Amino acid sequence: MGASMFRGLPWLPLLVIAAVGVCAAGGDAMLPFDANELDLGIAFKPPFWLAGGDMTNLLGADNLGRDILSRIMAGSRVSVIVAFYAILFSGGIGAAIGMIAGYFGGWVDTLLMRLIEIQQSVPSIALALILAAALEPGLSTVVVVIVLTYWAWYARIIRGEIMALKGRDYIAFARVAGVGTPTIFVRHLLSNIFNTLVVLATLQVGQVILFEASLSFLGLGIQQPDISWGLMLADARQYITNAWWAITMPGIAIMLTCLSSNIFGDWLRDRLDPQLRQL
Amino acid sequence: MLLSVRDLQTHLHLKRGVLRAVDGVSLDVAEGETLGLVGESGSGKTLTGLSLLRLLPKGSGRIVGGSIKLDGQELTTLSEAALARDIRGRKIAMIMQDPMTSLNPVFSIGDQVGSPLRNHDIARGAALRSAVVDVLQRVRLPSPADRLGDYPHQFSGGQRQRIVAAMAIGCTPRLLVADEPTTALDVTIQVQIINLLRSIQADTGAGIILITHDLGVAASLCRRIAVMYAGQIIETGPVRAIYRSPSHPYTKALLAAIPRLGAKRARLTAIAGQPPSLIDPPTGCRFAARCTLRMDKCAEAPPNVTLSDGHSAACWKLV
Amino acid sequence: MAAMLELAGVTKHYRTRHGVVRAVENVSLRVEPRTTMALVGESGCGKTTIAKMILQLEQPTSGTIHFEGQDIATMDRAALRAYRRQVMAVFQDPYSSLNPRLRVGTIIAEPVLAHERKSRAELDKIVAEVLDVVGMPASAARLYPHEFSGGQRQRIAIARALALRPRLMVLDEPVSALDVSIRAQILNLLADIQAEFGLTYLIIAHDLALVEHFSSDVGVIYLGCLAEAGPTEQVFAAPRHPYTKALLAAVPLPDPDHVLSEAAATGEIASAMNPPAGCRFHPRCPYVMDVCRVTAPVLAGTPHATSCHLPVID
Repeated sequence: MGASMFRGLPWLPLLVIAAVGVCAAGGDAMLPFDANELDLGIAFKPPFWLAGGDMTNLLGADNLGRDILSRIMAGSRVSVIVAFYAILFSGGIGAAIGMIAGYFGGWVDTLLMRLIEIQQSVPSIALALILAAALEPGLSTVVVVIVLTYWAWYARIIRGEIMALKGRDYIAFARVAGVGTPTIFVRHLLSNIFNTLVVLATLQVGQVILFEASLSFLGLGIQQPDISWGLMLADARQYITNAWWAITMPGIAIMLTCLSSNIFGDWLRDRLDPQLRQL
Repeated sequence: MLLSVRDLQTHLHLKRGVLRAVDGVSLDVAEGETLGLVGESGSGKTLTGLSLLRLLPKGSGRIVGGSIKLDGQELTTLSEAALARDIRGRKIAMIMQDPMTSLNPVFSIGDQVGSPLRNHDIARGAALRSAVVDVLQRVRLPSPADRLGDYPHQFSGGQRQRIVAAMAIGCTPRLLVADEPTTALDVTIQVQIINLLRSIQADTGAGIILITHDLGVAASLCRRIAVMYAGQIIETGPVRAIYRSPSHPYTKALLAAIPRLGAKRARLTAIAGQPPSLIDPPTGCRFAARCTLRMDKCAEAPPNVTLSDGHSAACWKLV
Repeated sequence: MAAMLELAGVTKHYRTRHGVVRAVENVSLRVEPRTTMALVGESGCGKTTIAKMILQLEQPTSGTIHFEGQDIATMDRAALRAYRRQVMAVFQDPYSSLNPRLRVGTIIAEPVLAHERKSRAELDKIVAEVLDVVGMPASAARLYPHEFSGGQRQRIAIARALALRPRLMVLDEPVSALDVSIRAQILNLLADIQAEFGLTYLIIAHDLALVEHFSSDVGVIYLGCLAEAGPTEQVFAAPRHPYTKALLAAVPLPDPDHVLSEAAATGEIASAMNPPAGCRFHPRCPYVMDVCRVTAPVLAGTPHATSCHLPVID
């Protein structure tokens, strides 16, 4: 094992993910400037490589003269927290429901499938509005909305996988040999859908970050003075003609993070598959 | 000679390396003759058949050497377009193992049986319809005229294989390549398809290459047999010579390893081990590692020894 | 004395959207200890459904299955657990029958873990022992299934079924997915294991030559019904049911002078959704009589039993 375990490791994406993680964990002490410090004197200051920019504010400043690099670093915290909890809970709940529906079939399946169909026909923005009114806008509301929106997506895909797995002879053998149903779930089903879960989760990172952005944009998500990449996009949207960097920089942060997690997820899936590991 | 293959080499380029799937195969098929290409999975028998039509896996498969001559015409150097126009489905047709996957579920069988005739400009309009009915009659599909509009799922497994055969013989090909045509069928249906192939041959005088792992099916249908092992033909000869006096240790072992109806034995004679990898095949005899008669000499490639008229085998023991 | 396994009037109907599929109809069988009973028939004839009912993967619609005199449908929890450790299975597809995510050692230990508390060392010892029985090195336990060929995988599947030293093994087409040269290895292995551990086999197969070679008793099934049953030697030497005769006549032999006969069974197997009235074989039977179209024949005779209206001529 050892060295071969890391064969083909995507260094660049991993570096991006690590950077995001460090920023999220590091807190305010790491920031070059206070992320909320206003300095109207440098409002709309361009990044360093453009005329008028300098090395003090590497990525320039926004409409209120806040340092964009500091705000991106601070905003990573919300993205990481939201992505982590939203994916953990929606994946966990969705996978459990999908496994039960797929394995037991019959009326259990019919009931759970109806529930999934009902969920998927509720507009998620409407759901968010109602929840935001009932609870209060903020980080936990964002997580709850995303979990309620995405669990059905996981459940549907996992159910399909389980239905295919159920017919495998090793499941039949386990039943013949008297292996208990909980053990069959963990040993035979979970081990075989783990890859799918990893891939779904990495694909969802991008969607979750974007979803958080739209919720924050609508005022239903993260509230000022908290910082999130979505909120930065929302703030900078009206200045796109005179300060494109204010919206582009957080956009690039989102893109790099999503892309890196997708590439890393692909690599992880190949690593986890004993068959592909040999090739 | 209808078909003459010399020293054919087909490689598969895989992630793990180059697989020498067909490694120096030579064979001849005369008009009206059935040659059985017999071997286990991975022996290269199917890829030999596909090489004739250059229907190799896209991207990975390539013919890298040798010659294939049909009626004296070299096929390996023929352009892709000429091959599709004059050879595939026209002069050489193929019957695959699984009738379910060789038929398209969304087209009627009249359409599918007619399509090679249309593509090769053999018949059109009313003539096409009557040609399709005629060919379906020849494969003895019951009441074909009424069933032209039916879809594959409306037929049974045996009937589907008849339809596949009809598609293959529509353009009266010179050579029919049948790849395990009865393997997916039950034994009482299998015998019907074996007899159908026999009557097709009597009708059309086409040469047939029957690719199979089943020594029983090969014996019932073929005049000559070529036994493949690890990408090479190790023994070839008239069917009686192969079954009555097999000479290569592999052929002998194979015939001893199958249970025979009406000849119960206490124990089957198993062949130990398994075939070698064709990514890095042994330099000498490829069966040597499993052979009970192995000698030092077997580390060198064995010569092809002629035993009697048309019967030869590649083994040092026969020198 | 009670048989190892006894099926009495076992019937299985599946309700589907399109109607009722009569997969198995009134099948009765007796399997004696240390014998090999083969169920033979064409695809879709119901032989695998019978195996599933014996393995309790399916419940019969009616009829009973007794294991050593005990009805398996009415067993209590403890008896059912005992049954589960005495009856194991080997399936056809060596790829689908081993979980690709587990190491061979874990796969083989599965039935043991389900029934006993064992230390890691004890488990390793059991695994090494059964691997040795099936002719594989103990080091195989650390590898994954994909590192083995089809024949080796089937050995692993046999080792797993053997780990708890069961009494009855259901073999569902155990060699039909394997190459000719590997089949003999596996069949010989199964025969050796049977002799060594005193096993009883129920083998599902479509290859008649294999059945003749491997089994002591045979049941020929056509469209869910038992057409003929009895000691293999008697049935193969003097088949009585026209369907058995047709099957035997259709087997191509590795002999260029053997003549195949298609006339013995014309047409194709009917659908189990809408089986023919009377004898289910009558539309294909060359000896069909009026009574065959109306009345279903009853299995009669012992030990060589036939379900046919034709008089028995030996």
